[in-house]
Amino acid sequence: MRIDWWTLGLQTINVLVLVFILSRFLFRPVAAMIEERRAAAAKLLDDARAARAAAEAERQGVEKQAADLAQSRGEAMKAAAEQAEAEKRTILAAARAEADRLRAAAAADIARERREAAAATSDEASRLALDIAARLLSRLPEEARVTGFVEGLAKGAADLPESVRAGMGANGTPIRLKVPRALSADEALACRERLSQALGRAVEITPIVDPALVAGLEIDMPHAAVRNSFRADLDRITAALTQDGRQSP
Amino acid sequence: MTSPLILEPVFQIGPVPITEPVLVTWAIMIGLAALAFLVTRRLSLQPSRAQAALEAVVSAIDGQIADTMQADPAPYRALIGTILIYVLLANWSSLVPGIEPPTAHLETDAALALIVLGATIVYGVRMQGLGGYLKTFAEPSWVMIPLNLVEQITRTFSLIVRLFGNIMSGVFIIGIILSLAGLLVPIPLMALDLLTGAVQAYIFAVLACVFIGAAIGENRPPRNASGKEHDTP
Amino acid sequence: MNDTIQAVSIIAAALAVSFGAIGPALAEGRAVAAAMDAIARQPEAAGTLSRTLFVGLAMIETMAIYCLVIALLVLFANPFIK
Repeated sequence: MRIDWWTLGLQTINVLVLVFILSRFLFRPVAAMIEERRAAAAKLLDDARAARAAAEAERQGVEKQAADLAQSRGEAMKAAAEQAEAEKRTILAAARAEADRLRAAAAADIARERREAAAATSDEASRLALDIAARLLSRLPEEARVTGFVEGLAKGAADLPESVRAGMGANGTPIRLKVPRALSADEALACRERLSQALGRAVEITPIVDPALVAGLEIDMPHAAVRNSFRADLDRITAALTQDGRQSP
Repeated sequence: MTSPLILEPVFQIGPVPITEPVLVTWAIMIGLAALAFLVTRRLSLQPSRAQAALEAVVSAIDGQIADTMQADPAPYRALIGTILIYVLLANWSSLVPGIEPPTAHLETDAALALIVLGATIVYGVRMQGLGGYLKTFAEPSWVMIPLNLVEQITRTFSLIVRLFGNIMSGVFIIGIILSLAGLLVPIPLMALDLLTGAVQAYIFAVLACVFIGAAIGENRPPRNASGKEHDTP
Repeated sequence: MNDTIQAVSIIAAALAVSFGAIGPALAEGRAVAAAMDAIARQPEAAGTLSRTLFVGLAMIETMAIYCLVIALLVLFANPFIK
């Protein structure tokens, strides 16, 4: 039994050198290549993942775009609807205003027509009243149409202001006395006497026939008048009636 | 019959006697270096046939190291891989007529085992520090220190003797058979030698892994995930 | 004298190898049987089991190899043979 120490040392050195050689020329490059391939595969996977993510992002972008489009369309439609609504309201308001205006005009027309109708009615009524009065008076004696009013005429003349009374029949000018019919001599005398009595001096009268008076006596002067007839009474009544009718249509 | 325990120098360089294991080892070195240089000269992402084979071998070694040591195989790949490949080629060199495997002599096995012993110490000190590595001898208690020291020596010795005994016995038996019947009879035994050589190379590398893994302790870096798929026995 | 020692050495070597092979043979048989059982139960653990089995077989085999080395020492490096 003999250990060859030279061989032992040489083999040790040999194996160490072989370790170095293989590490340098075999294991390190091959392991690096394996690692590189693994990295390349990982990079490929990452690239694929990134591409998928990009596609996903693109798809989401498109979806968002579509959503935006739909939203803007909805907004446009809403705006259009609002506009249409506003226009409708405007048109409605205009139509309502027009209708109001028309109705107001119609109401005004109606009121005017009613007024006119009322006026016509009052005219008709006054005429009717005059007719009635005339018809009634025609049944009375003819004297009643004058003599019954002589006192009233005198009273009316007496109620006139002093200056007016002084001017009446002064300087011999006759007083224009409206009468419903031609006076008889007695009636003319009576009238003159009562007037002279009322005025306190003698006056002349000039009878003027006016059938419209129906009955009564009236003095017509430039500055004053004495109304003392059915005509005047009827006129007053008519005026009062129409006044009432106008105040409460 | 010549003793397998005695080496005769082939020739002499000055005072240095060059023996047959050294010559065979040189041949193996030259062949491996040429192969590695040729294949790794043009590495590419699209591997050629030879590159794919080499990558498969390296991946298998990585997987074995990771499985055995539960650690990242990168720092130990060169040592373990070289031991595996060299011992395998040395064992199989008996196929070449007239050549005796270097591992059939104690000197080569002793050299390999001493390298493994040195590597366990170097890696253990590097990973745990000198104090941390020395502390592993006192585990589980200081009573075990002599036993642990003896274990270091005996397991190195068992590495030497195991490889030497297996390969040398194969060579020895084939020599005896050849002296009895020269034709065809040794062929099954040579095939058995091939199997024994491969298994012994694998066992030597795995035991080196186990020893280094025990030396670097528990606080090793997390193992590389790439080592899991290669689970070839 | 040397002839006697050589004869005794050869006998001793044969005894060492034969008896040294008995124990490891039995042990290896048990180990392989247990490993087969485990692999049959758990085929997915076959890789780890077979690796551990090989290492264990190598450990067991070492005993036989020790015997073989002792036999070789007795045969070729006998210190009592001049």
